[in-house]
Amino acid sequence: MNDAANTDRWIRWLNTMQLVLAGVLIMAPTVWMVLSSFKPSFEVTAYPPTLSFSPTLENYVELTRTTPFLSYALNSLIVTVGSTTLGLVFGIPAAFAVSWTRITWPAILTLAARMAPGTLFLLPWYVMFRQIGMIGSYTALILSHAVITLPIVIWVLLPSFDGIPRSVFEAAQVDGCSVTRILWRIALPLVASGVAVSAILAFVFSWNYFLFALVLSNGDTKTLIAAAFNFIGEGSTQWGALMAAATLIALPPLVLAALVQRWLVSGLTLGAVKG
Amino acid sequence: MASISIRNLTKRYGNFTVIPDLNLEIADHEFVVFVGPSGCGKSTLLRVIAGLEPISSGDLYIGDKRVNGVQAAQRDIAMVFQDYALYPHMRVYDNMSFALELRGTPKAEIDARVKRAAALLHIEPYLDRKPKELSGGQRQRVAMGRAIVRNPKAFLFDEPLSNLDAKLRGQVRAEIKALSQELKTTMVFVTHDQIEAMTMADRIVVLQSGTIQQYDTPETVYERPANQFVAGFIGSPAMNFFPVEWRQERAILSQGGTVVPLDGETAGRLSKAGNAVVGIRPEHFAIATDAADGIAINVKLVEPLGSDTLIHFDVAGGSAIARVDPALRPKVGDRLSLRPQPGKTHLFAASNGQVLR
Repeated sequence: MNDAANTDRWIRWLNTMQLVLAGVLIMAPTVWMVLSSFKPSFEVTAYPPTLSFSPTLENYVELTRTTPFLSYALNSLIVTVGSTTLGLVFGIPAAFAVSWTRITWPAILTLAARMAPGTLFLLPWYVMFRQIGMIGSYTALILSHAVITLPIVIWVLLPSFDGIPRSVFEAAQVDGCSVTRILWRIALPLVASGVAVSAILAFVFSWNYFLFALVLSNGDTKTLIAAAFNFIGEGSTQWGALMAAATLIALPPLVLAALVQRWLVSGLTLGAVKG
Repeated sequence: MASISIRNLTKRYGNFTVIPDLNLEIADHEFVVFVGPSGCGKSTLLRVIAGLEPISSGDLYIGDKRVNGVQAAQRDIAMVFQDYALYPHMRVYDNMSFALELRGTPKAEIDARVKRAAALLHIEPYLDRKPKELSGGQRQRVAMGRAIVRNPKAFLFDEPLSNLDAKLRGQVRAEIKALSQELKTTMVFVTHDQIEAMTMADRIVVLQSGTIQQYDTPETVYERPANQFVAGFIGSPAMNFFPVEWRQERAILSQGGTVVPLDGETAGRLSKAGNAVVGIRPEHFAIATDAADGIAINVKLVEPLGSDTLIHFDVAGGSAIARVDPALRPKVGDRLSLRPQPGKTHLFAASNGQVLR
């Protein structure tokens, strides 16, 4: 009896330690980044790091003064919203079609495309977009980011559609629905939380994606994440401004995830519809 | 309202044939029940009629129209599913009005029809509720309501009572029967429960391995089963079967050598066949007043049902059941003499189970 209680205590202690370790590993760089963004510029790179400092917004002011930060943010928003919308417009019917027909290879193909390194697409795209004069356009960026968003939408929604009892669709067929109408009137309302989750995930992944924007954008269309890379100069990096930029870039995905975390967990794990 | 005609219909999944060459005529206004064990093809046949499964070969007519290639949406039939298949995100009212709305029925008419159906099924108080706020029985009624508002050519029911408890099942069974008499529409009902089949059907289709074993009225299927399968499937408890031989001008159980007292007409048929399987329903045994006139048995188990008492006994190497008067108060170990009631025994060919007439 005592042995069992001791083992339980040990397991609980180990669990806590595991969580603390994972928390430190994940949160330490984020905390470092956020704290550094509020430090006076000379303290950002001080060694050993200063733990007490008087917070300042000077890095944020510097960031907006020296860079077109807001226009980069707008570029990111346009590309992310555009590619997320594209992902939803094509991903929702695609996921429904895969679930309806049980023909899974198209979904697997999109997954393979998502898993392939971005560089695989980058070179052909660069050549293609250059030939048709689209390098630096929002369209090229949105199209390229659809490779990120489309598989996310399909694979998040697939279990949701699969979770709807087949008989519900059959009842709609007998009631007089075409397949398109079944998707629109029956299936889509039933997977609304899945659509929200897939949209948020697609938004976050597209927002954070760096490689395509680095090569396919120009000065006018550069996204935040690609622009932030350019803040690292040779020998004259403004670490404070960079930390401020990184904090601002991380903010939308974190806020979105925090707002819908309950949906996120249920949307990713369940996908079932209860009658 | 329409008849349903199935001609030389075959349904295959790959190389596996579920329904081989089936012919069936269902008359207008008729209530037909498909009954059979699991995997007999009854639900597949219903889904073929609904248009949810394509036909491999043969023809299907609803009314005068051949509907082989017609989508389910265009067949103008209504279906009640085993799990009710209500639209979870819609209120009861919207579940019922959805099909009418799709057909462009005017709003006032939709409202009138939904309310009429709701009154008929006693679900008016629930019209604003979502399906998850209803009990199983209420959902079942909504599913029926969704079907009847449409005034379709035919109603199809796919085991709609199997998720209800025993009491509710009996109640809804009676309601469906009453509804069929009121609506006067062709109805096809699938069940594996032979009591549902017997109580509701105008005619029963008994299916096994995708082939029709018998298609007739409940009375005929019960009283004159076409073969040993139907005889064993219809009736509860099931019919008792004993292999018998005609020896020395008497019917003798093949195993054990006990004499079976058959009536003259049945004995005549057995004498022609030489050997057969005799079928006697539990309710068609009588207690023989003279022990020499019956089959001597030892009571092995007693099941008092109130209205009747079932006694289990061993005979000819197998077990059998007889339904007797509860006033007899039989006890385990009692020795009784049972004889089949005259004219109530069935003879089946030992080779293929077909009835010997």
